[in-house]
Amino acid sequence: MSDLVIETRALTKRYGDAILAVDGLYLRVRRGEVYGFLGPNGAGKTTTLRMLLGLVRPTSGDATVLGATPGSPQGLARIGALVEGPAFYPFLSGRDNLSVLARHAGVDEDRVEVVLAEVRLSDRAEDRYATYSLGMKQRLGVAAALLKDPELLILDEPTNGLDPAGMAEMRAFMRSLGGSRTLVLSSHLMGEIEQVSDRVGVIRDGSLVAEGTVEELRGQAGLRVRAEPLSEAARLVGALPAVDRVTTLDGLLDVAVDTAQAPAINRALVESGIAVSELYPQKASLEDVFLELTTNGDERP
Amino acid sequence: MTRSVIAELLVLRKRAATWILLGIWTLLGIFFAYVVPYALDPEDSPAGTEQFLPESLAGNLIAGFPFFGGVFSLMLGVLAFGSEYGWGTLKTLFIQRPSRLRVFGAKLIALGVVLVPFVLTLFVAGAVASYVIAQIEDAPVTWPSAWLLVRAVGAGWLILAVWAGVGVLLGVVTRGTSLAIGIGILYALVIEGLLSAFADSVDLLEPLTDVFLRANGYSIAAALGASVDSIESSGPGSYSGPLVGSLQALLVLVALTAGVVAVSGLVLRRRDVA
Repeated sequence: MSDLVIETRALTKRYGDAILAVDGLYLRVRRGEVYGFLGPNGAGKTTTLRMLLGLVRPTSGDATVLGATPGSPQGLARIGALVEGPAFYPFLSGRDNLSVLARHAGVDEDRVEVVLAEVRLSDRAEDRYATYSLGMKQRLGVAAALLKDPELLILDEPTNGLDPAGMAEMRAFMRSLGGSRTLVLSSHLMGEIEQVSDRVGVIRDGSLVAEGTVEELRGQAGLRVRAEPLSEAARLVGALPAVDRVTTLDGLLDVAVDTAQAPAINRALVESGIAVSELYPQKASLEDVFLELTTNGDERP
Repeated sequence: MTRSVIAELLVLRKRAATWILLGIWTLLGIFFAYVVPYALDPEDSPAGTEQFLPESLAGNLIAGFPFFGGVFSLMLGVLAFGSEYGWGTLKTLFIQRPSRLRVFGAKLIALGVVLVPFVLTLFVAGAVASYVIAQIEDAPVTWPSAWLLVRAVGAGWLILAVWAGVGVLLGVVTRGTSLAIGIGILYALVIEGLLSAFADSVDLLEPLTDVFLRANGYSIAAALGASVDSIESSGPGSYSGPLVGSLQALLVLVALTAGVVAVSGLVLRRRDVA
């Protein structure tokens, strides 16, 4: 059994001549991991997921999902997905909506009650979908994705429209979905990805610009130094051989250096008569990395 | 496949629009086939009082199918598929296990099943109306043969099916309901209506009208006892062009149904689902 659950090779989707939604994407998702698919709005996340589910045909390139062609019944039988928001019949109850899907999917009807309980919708299952709140609709969408007890779960912006409590609840729920199941989580919310994902892929303009664990993406920690006089401190620290780069940021020095050099830097500053009031390790947040990757164009390996 | 059909039947059964269309269709069908012409002046009606009696049940009712019933059926077909785009439910269905064509097939079968009560309800209501008129007229109650009724019900279903097929095609092509229903009614009224009206005087149009739903539907209706006079004077749905043989009409309607279904399936299978 292959370790790769999803593999795309130069996957491309073009709409007419003007819009290149996905541009030669190479994506690899391993079995059992929670893969965060991060990108700004319009970066190509949803189009990619649609191609992986066979809803959209690629213009070129190809993909394999659970060893099958995207959209094939063999593959779909093992995939649960919520793509670009939940979509159900407004005049049917939550239970009837799931029942319709269970029948199409060839799933035992008992699963309907199981997944309704999992997303805590059992008590509102008889109500029409049209009367559900946004959060309930989202939960029903997740329930539908879980109906087949899938090996691969694809959730596209699952916390969209949820209030903070709903988002926290959904994140906890997503963490509980782990285990043997592979989860692909698409979002533009850093916190969501950071808290849940084992590995993260960042997409910009249809291309993968970075991939790795959250720690890898955040890169090496540096040091922040508050000292007086600041300009003198910057000159002195910048001259130290272990230091790669020094920048001034909000009255602090942002020092690109191995954090193990903190005592040496402190000593050098103090011995030069510079008053050091703060010195602490600082890592770039995923948000910083994301903004750098998706706005400045600096690609990371 | 059976479970998919059952699922689609659940959707159609619980949808208010299905019942609303069934109710209006039955009500107006009886209204225009019995109530209005009988109330106005039955003696002036082209076929006289006889057309309202139970013996003429099949012919009197089937005359309302090629246009009036067709438009209702078209709407049903459009709603069955076009609404799926608006709700986004096609996307939800297509990521379940079955292939797109299997989902399409299940939806079509369910739609075909739903058309049966549309035909039967009108015939039952028509039977009641004709019986009441027979009592009022103190006329003998003679029912048409079972074989004629079976053929009329079958023909009624086929005529509705081909119109529903056109609705499905329009719903799939336009990916919605409003434009599809607009185009469908435009086609029924303007394209078929006007061209049929000119078919007698413009020779070039005659071969074209031979494949129209209206021409073939009325040809079958006439073969089952619908009065040609009443077909020619049935308002916006009237048809005065040449009728064709019932077998030819049957084959054309079956071919048209197969054609629109095949094109719809092809479009649905190949096109991206947004």
